[in-house]
Amino acid sequence: MMGQNQILPLWLDPRTKILLLLLCVLSAMAAPSLQYEFLLVAGIGILGILCGKWRYALKGMVFYAMVYLFTVWAMNSMTGTLRNMFVAFLGLFHKVFPCGMLSGIVISTTKVSEFLSAMNHIHAPKKLIIPLAVMLRYIPTIGEDWRYIKDAMRMRDVSPSFKGFITNPGITIDCVYVPLMMAASKAADELSVAAVTRGIENPNPRTCLIQIRLGAGDAFTTLCFAVFFLAGMYLKEVG
Amino acid sequence: MFELRNVSFSYSGHTDGGLRSISLRIPNGECVLLCGRSGCGKTTVTRLINGLIPNFYPGTLEGEVLLDGKPIAETPMYQIADRVGSVFQNPRTQFFNVDTDSEIAFGIENKALPPIELSRRVKLTSKELGIEGLQNRNIFQLSGGEKQKIAFASVYAMNPDVYLLDEPSSNLDMASIRALGDYVRLIKSQGKTILIAEHRLYYLMEVADRIVYLEQGEIAGSYTPREFCKLSGAERRKMGLRAIDLREELPECPATPQSGLTLELKDVSLFHKKRIILEHISLKAGQGEVIGVAGCNGAGKTTFSRALCGLHKECSGSFLWNDEPMNHKKRLRLSYLVMQDVNYQLFAESVEAECTFGIKNPDRELTKQTMEELGLLSFRKRHPNTLSGGQKQRVAAAVSLISGKELLIFDEPTSGLDYDSMAQVGGLIRKLAALGKIIFVVTHDYEFICRTCTRVLHFNSGKMQDDFLVSTENETKLRNLFSIDP
Repeated sequence: MMGQNQILPLWLDPRTKILLLLLCVLSAMAAPSLQYEFLLVAGIGILGILCGKWRYALKGMVFYAMVYLFTVWAMNSMTGTLRNMFVAFLGLFHKVFPCGMLSGIVISTTKVSEFLSAMNHIHAPKKLIIPLAVMLRYIPTIGEDWRYIKDAMRMRDVSPSFKGFITNPGITIDCVYVPLMMAASKAADELSVAAVTRGIENPNPRTCLIQIRLGAGDAFTTLCFAVFFLAGMYLKEVG
Repeated sequence: MFELRNVSFSYSGHTDGGLRSISLRIPNGECVLLCGRSGCGKTTVTRLINGLIPNFYPGTLEGEVLLDGKPIAETPMYQIADRVGSVFQNPRTQFFNVDTDSEIAFGIENKALPPIELSRRVKLTSKELGIEGLQNRNIFQLSGGEKQKIAFASVYAMNPDVYLLDEPSSNLDMASIRALGDYVRLIKSQGKTILIAEHRLYYLMEVADRIVYLEQGEIAGSYTPREFCKLSGAERRKMGLRAIDLREELPECPATPQSGLTLELKDVSLFHKKRIILEHISLKAGQGEVIGVAGCNGAGKTTFSRALCGLHKECSGSFLWNDEPMNHKKRLRLSYLVMQDVNYQLFAESVEAECTFGIKNPDRELTKQTMEELGLLSFRKRHPNTLSGGQKQRVAAAVSLISGKELLIFDEPTSGLDYDSMAQVGGLIRKLAALGKIIFVVTHDYEFICRTCTRVLHFNSGKMQDDFLVSTENETKLRNLFSIDP
């Protein structure tokens, strides 16, 4: 899955990614219409594909398209309280989904070392950077933990599935939550220890094996997102 | 050179692992091995030297810890990191990057070396440690042994004067332990000062200059390797220490009552994503057998044990229980896997609740009896997470008994255990065997196999290479399997 050898069509600087996230949030807030949000998700999907996360991007787009169609249908053919309820819920969903999807792409394509180096470039305080880096690093281990927990649940006759959750919510939550919390707090401690004993707190600007620099790709992508956001603002004013 | 002057320490909120008036002076270039029971304070000593105490672990500290005459407590962590490199026990959670190269560079990046120097050092480190084959790989796909090599490499690249190794071999197979021993010899030849806290002692006997024995937070003995090797087996066991020389460990060959129910595997092959992991395994096992499953990291032992208890479904061939075929669901009902990290399988708020967790109509009498048998009755009200590792294992074993499992699998039950705890696990497993369970133990621990198992399976390069009884006749075979020189 990993690809520092594999040449990707687009590599973005972590700083650009943060800016994109910000623009995405603003765009989603300003979104003048449902079609606009659909375009936003499509744009994020294309970005994901270019960054090498095509499977994730396609899944996200297909899922969103289904919800989109459902929303259009609900707006047109539902009536009364049910419609209000769905519209309120879906309204929130349409605002949150693009940001969530982009965050997923950002987190999965950013290496911890790149992130640290980028944060150094913008002179972010170490007190902020280190916990964020530990978090970024912890995310992939959740997958590993989850595999063990699933095994443990099956052996105790608790089904680690959605159906199991519906029929037996209390037990399922205990089974996931308790070990995951234990594993998380231990892992976070050990990761922090491994980082401080290798001098992460050094106040000198950190260097990076992989040089990060802002390039044409960063400028172009930011421009696309910025134009898209401004277009949204404009449409909102006009509409 | 570093020095502990009359140091006492206690962790806030714990009683374990504290130290009482420790004085220890380690001159440059010396290699010191710290040993003692779990909780004796070995790890605490290493934490005093790499500055984690008092910077990361709070507690009450008295006395002075000096590195080249300067008090460590007043030195910022990153300056200590320049001089002192630490390698820890758990390979899973000590790397910070997802790819090996960035991880090796992590420390020197923090040191802010120029980029050209970074890549030069990464290359040099990989060459000197013989891990060129691991360059540019995803760390999540490495075996535990390989991860530990990368963790060592990352510290090595920083070129510290002092190396601290805190139970570095706990999760390693025999080959990786040997590689680790080579690394220690390498840094010693470079004149580095080395402090190793360890339970496994045998692989360090040639390289250590001094062996310091801790007991309940105090230095209870200091030996040269020669003096240390003279300790008799009985003395060593009394001190709670693991084998010093594996050649002296002999198979104890406990009797194996072979009767009753049997498990049979007929031409079983295991796959992962259509790739063959292990093929053509056939074996028969009876009640009361304790079967060790050995082989290097990545030989398929974990997949085998998961398939055995029905968690891994991609397999062909047949599993028979009393001549009746069992699909994965039936196996799951019949078997229980005690994981290496037991924390994943403890869910409830007390030991008692844990024992009956998820069972619809628990048998109170059986629960009580099982808890009593496994010595858990006195902690019945305690939260499982407040127990020690060995106690947690016993809770998991109790769960398996109460839910009526017949086939028990232990995954690396002795990793990171001192002699006492290992003997206890051995006792537990034999007790379970005497209750008529069939037991498989996945392990790298030669000493443990000698003491506990009745039979050994050896997996290597996709096949079951060997299947023999642990007995005096098979001693040579067993030694070859663990590459112990005669």
